[in-house]
Amino acid sequence: MRSTRELARQFMPLITLVVLVVAVGAFQPQFVNPATLLQIASDTATLFVLGAGVTLVIMLGGIDLSIQSVASLTSVIVALLLGQLGYLAFPVAVAIGAGVGLLSGLAHVRLKIPSFIASLAIGGCAAGAALLLSDARSITLGETERGYTAWITGRALGIPNEVVIGAIVLIAGTVVQRYTAFGRFSTAIGAGEPAAIASGIRVGLHKVTAFVLSGAAAGLAGVILAGRLASGSPTLANQLLLPAIAAVIVGGTAITGGVGSIWRTLVGALIITVVRTGMTFLNVDIFLQQAVFGAVLIIAVALTIDRSKIPIVK
Amino acid sequence: MTAAADAVSPQGSAWERWRRRLGPWAPVLVLVLLSIAIGIANDRFFSFGNLSRIADAASIPLVLGLGITFIIIMGSIDLSIEGVLSFGAVVLSLLVLNGVNDNDFGLLGVVIVLAIGAGMGFVNGAIHVGLRIPSFMATLGMWFVGVGIGNAILGGIQVRVNDELIRALALERLFGFKYQVWVALLALAGAFVIERYTRFGRYIYAIGGGEDLADLSGIKVRRIRILAFTLAGAFYGLGGVMAVAQQGSAFALIGSDRLFTTVTAVVVGGTALMGGAGGVLNTLVGALIVVVLDNGMVLMGVSPYVQQIVLGVLIVVAVAMSVDRIRTRIVK
Amino acid sequence: MTTPALALRNITKSFPGVQALKDVSIEVRPHEVIGLIGENGAGKSTLMRILAGVYQPDSGTIELAGRPVSFRGAAEAARHGIGMVFQEQSLLPNLTVGQNIYLGAESAFTTGGIIRWRDLYAAARRQLEKVHVDVDPAMMTADLDFATRQMVELAKALTLEERTDGQLVILLDEPTSVLEQKDIDILFARVRELKSRASFVFVSHRLDEVLALSDRVYVMKDGAVVAELPAAEADTHRLHQLMVGRDRQAEYYRESAQRPYGNKVVLSARGLTLAGHYRDVDFDLHEGEILGIAGVIGSGREEVCRTLFGLAQPTAGQILMEGKPVRFNSPSDAVARRIGYIPRERRVEGLVLFLSVTANMTLANLKEMMRGGMIDLRREARMAAGWVERLRIRTPSIRALCLNLSGGNQQKVVLAKWMTAKTRIVILDHPTRGLDVGAKEEVYELVRAMSAEGMSIVLIADTLEETIGLSHTILTMRDGRITHRFDASPGAKPAQVDLIQHMV
Repeated sequence: MRSTRELARQFMPLITLVVLVVAVGAFQPQFVNPATLLQIASDTATLFVLGAGVTLVIMLGGIDLSIQSVASLTSVIVALLLGQLGYLAFPVAVAIGAGVGLLSGLAHVRLKIPSFIASLAIGGCAAGAALLLSDARSITLGETERGYTAWITGRALGIPNEVVIGAIVLIAGTVVQRYTAFGRFSTAIGAGEPAAIASGIRVGLHKVTAFVLSGAAAGLAGVILAGRLASGSPTLANQLLLPAIAAVIVGGTAITGGVGSIWRTLVGALIITVVRTGMTFLNVDIFLQQAVFGAVLIIAVALTIDRSKIPIVK
Repeated sequence: MTAAADAVSPQGSAWERWRRRLGPWAPVLVLVLLSIAIGIANDRFFSFGNLSRIADAASIPLVLGLGITFIIIMGSIDLSIEGVLSFGAVVLSLLVLNGVNDNDFGLLGVVIVLAIGAGMGFVNGAIHVGLRIPSFMATLGMWFVGVGIGNAILGGIQVRVNDELIRALALERLFGFKYQVWVALLALAGAFVIERYTRFGRYIYAIGGGEDLADLSGIKVRRIRILAFTLAGAFYGLGGVMAVAQQGSAFALIGSDRLFTTVTAVVVGGTALMGGAGGVLNTLVGALIVVVLDNGMVLMGVSPYVQQIVLGVLIVVAVAMSVDRIRTRIVK
Repeated sequence: MTTPALALRNITKSFPGVQALKDVSIEVRPHEVIGLIGENGAGKSTLMRILAGVYQPDSGTIELAGRPVSFRGAAEAARHGIGMVFQEQSLLPNLTVGQNIYLGAESAFTTGGIIRWRDLYAAARRQLEKVHVDVDPAMMTADLDFATRQMVELAKALTLEERTDGQLVILLDEPTSVLEQKDIDILFARVRELKSRASFVFVSHRLDEVLALSDRVYVMKDGAVVAELPAAEADTHRLHQLMVGRDRQAEYYRESAQRPYGNKVVLSARGLTLAGHYRDVDFDLHEGEILGIAGVIGSGREEVCRTLFGLAQPTAGQILMEGKPVRFNSPSDAVARRIGYIPRERRVEGLVLFLSVTANMTLANLKEMMRGGMIDLRREARMAAGWVERLRIRTPSIRALCLNLSGGNQQKVVLAKWMTAKTRIVILDHPTRGLDVGAKEEVYELVRAMSAEGMSIVLIADTLEETIGLSHTILTMRDGRITHRFDASPGAKPAQVDLIQHMV
């Protein structure tokens, strides 16, 4: 029973992805040509980067609902600073993202506020800051400023740079999860926090670290978005929270923590993008997509959740 | 371990007792002090016109807050407010006299929307209880389902609402206050009766105070949970009706940012996220605090965007103050 | 002879790995107080839970006034007139006294969906009068002291009078453990008064109280009733002997392998106090010494151990390591000082069940496996394989999840975790709980080996036999204080009865 669920978690997402690609391809042959698939890959990059960050928090058994606000905020910051700081604007934006994550993490760990409410509140602050900085307008990047974003929008050897950025995040994330103490302890905390505490692990420190990394990843996602759309806006990433969390869960990472990985989130993000692109190809109303994702999320959680771990479900 | 700690540690150091007695009044004190401070800074604050404006602004957060208060008392959360409200508003605009189709259901349309809200709430509860999914996750899904369907129906257009009855909510006045203020107060009275005088009201406190003990006392916990979500959904539906009245039209994003304001109002009012404490009167105070703060900042010429930052900080402070940090070792 | 108010006939109940109750038969006659005693783990709590409808027996019957019944839950047991006053407080602190008394039974005061609070509170006041408690039923329960809460629980149990036609049976599960003497006297006086209305089953560790209150006493041991006698014919000494039973088997605990411990003091407690749990605890732990602490639930020994590992912070006194005062704000501070902890809840606090054997073994000492900021997975695997071989851990592979291992092998993984971390002091909290005989022996062997290597051990054991068999030194605790220190060198071991009289 347990092992079949484990196997399902392991391979279902990949199988789903392949079946979806084949199914959509059967209806629309132009879907499966290399150019479209590359386009899908680059469309997925932002979602994946967001999802990768929040994966680290979900692994610990928490959740970060601030990511869309953080991404919007950093898109505004990039748009505002690019003219003055040049390339330096990018690390500044990512650092601010990490800073917001730090605040969420501290509010959660030090003040013992449940993570969803801490990140919702701090995310609200970030959204307010974005509105304030941008005066609630969309800021379009000028000609010179766009020169700095070539590393996001360009191509190397025919491969979109976004795909390369995604790949780097994938590798970095995988290394962090597999080979660092943080990665190991995150899994331990998510799978059994009391045992982790009783083994002397500094649980609070690792939780805060996860939020910082999640904030940084959201910051990077905001930077990529700003480059892609050649603008920064306080609502730029507003529809990305749900798909990002859905990507993590659909990929097979358990919402209760302890089981999951970054590559699963990649698979989940690809599924989301394929479904979205596929629906567009099949002329499904694009506005219904949010609704579909909401339903997909609930189904994915229901399938992957391990009920033995939560005696009282609140 | 924690049970033993609870059992033996004295239940009332003087400070603890004091905190428990006066704690419930802290939000009221905050509201009074805040009002006085703003009143001193700007004498227009206490004008009847401004007070009536505050009442207007507080009516929707109050109605939404009443719904979610029942959920938070149980120790759960409902993130679907915006979804239910948006979908309800969109459906309402298409049922009553409007600028797009020929429907004219009038009051029946309002009843249908309340039923739809309750239905969506029921689905929330059924998913949460039936599939044993944490409430924040189940309702997060419903949030996007609601907004998404609303979006799909309207496709980004705005529907003007011409129904006299609904328009009257935001246009007509009784004793100086708009109808919608009276509707909100009626909703408050209803919620208060449910909270104080029904078994359902008692049981949500029992569930929030200790679900296992409530179960031992023979309370049908699952049924009560689903009922609470259903009731909350009906309140969000009413919030949708009022939002349409206020805007004079409906659009898919009519619910934006309302979750945030509502949750702030509830926790600032003193209803603890841990469950078991607080109530609808707290939510009234909380909604007023949030609106008075906003109103004061507008009067003093502070950028409206700062408001959201202040709200975020308020949530953190209010929740942090209500958490019993000694007793809770693991927070997720 | 009258029909018993409540009778249990041949009740059996087992949990995975444990036979909790073996063929237990008990009778409670009308207007009688039954005392139920036994060591920790003798099966008292399981029996009480079956009576209260929380557990269902595997076989056997429950009879109420001669009629067989079965309860599918606590609410159903209550409908049949079985009330319970729990050891852990079962009142909701966020409700008023009156609301608690009638929780789940408000329908008698409801008209058209609206609760008539005035009637409910009036009824609650009548219930409180039955137990002579003068509190306003509209008061918040959180504002009451514990003695009053206990009385309110009793009043709540008595509401069953109005809801059932048969005899009431009220279960008192360790009701005195958190009460002061004067409150105990009041409680007992009330119980005696109420005998005309109900029968009682009284569970307590305090034998003098059991003798004072009960008409008859049942003694349980290892899941079975070993004696039933009128209280008038018993004294505490006789009850001690009945609770302990057979003699100790020295070989089982490998007493022959017990080596004398060193002279160096590695850990001491001076005046250590945790308000509400224990006070003025003093001891020295030497290199290689196994220090057993004996005491019943509520004696404070568990909290002492949790304090030594940083899971609780003392309110007064000091912990010294090699003469210098230390402070543990969290377990990580204790681990940094090379203290390890083997918790009673092995599957919750001991292991991360959903993590591999390897990862669990390095959980407390991952630092050692790092090279250039990265975990050296190969080295980690080698080390884990080494421990699996050395401790003869039966696992399909070192990558297997701990979830899939048997209890004994899981416990060995926990031991390996602390041995990997080169721990100097290990706190063993019920290290053999839930293990079968063979696995227990292996754990004893390991504990002895650890001690022989110079590791110092603080032990809280499942049974007195185990404490005596394994320890060099034994401290007994009662009501939060150390009552006696025994030397337990091989050949000079104290008897269980000696210990028990300092424990209860």
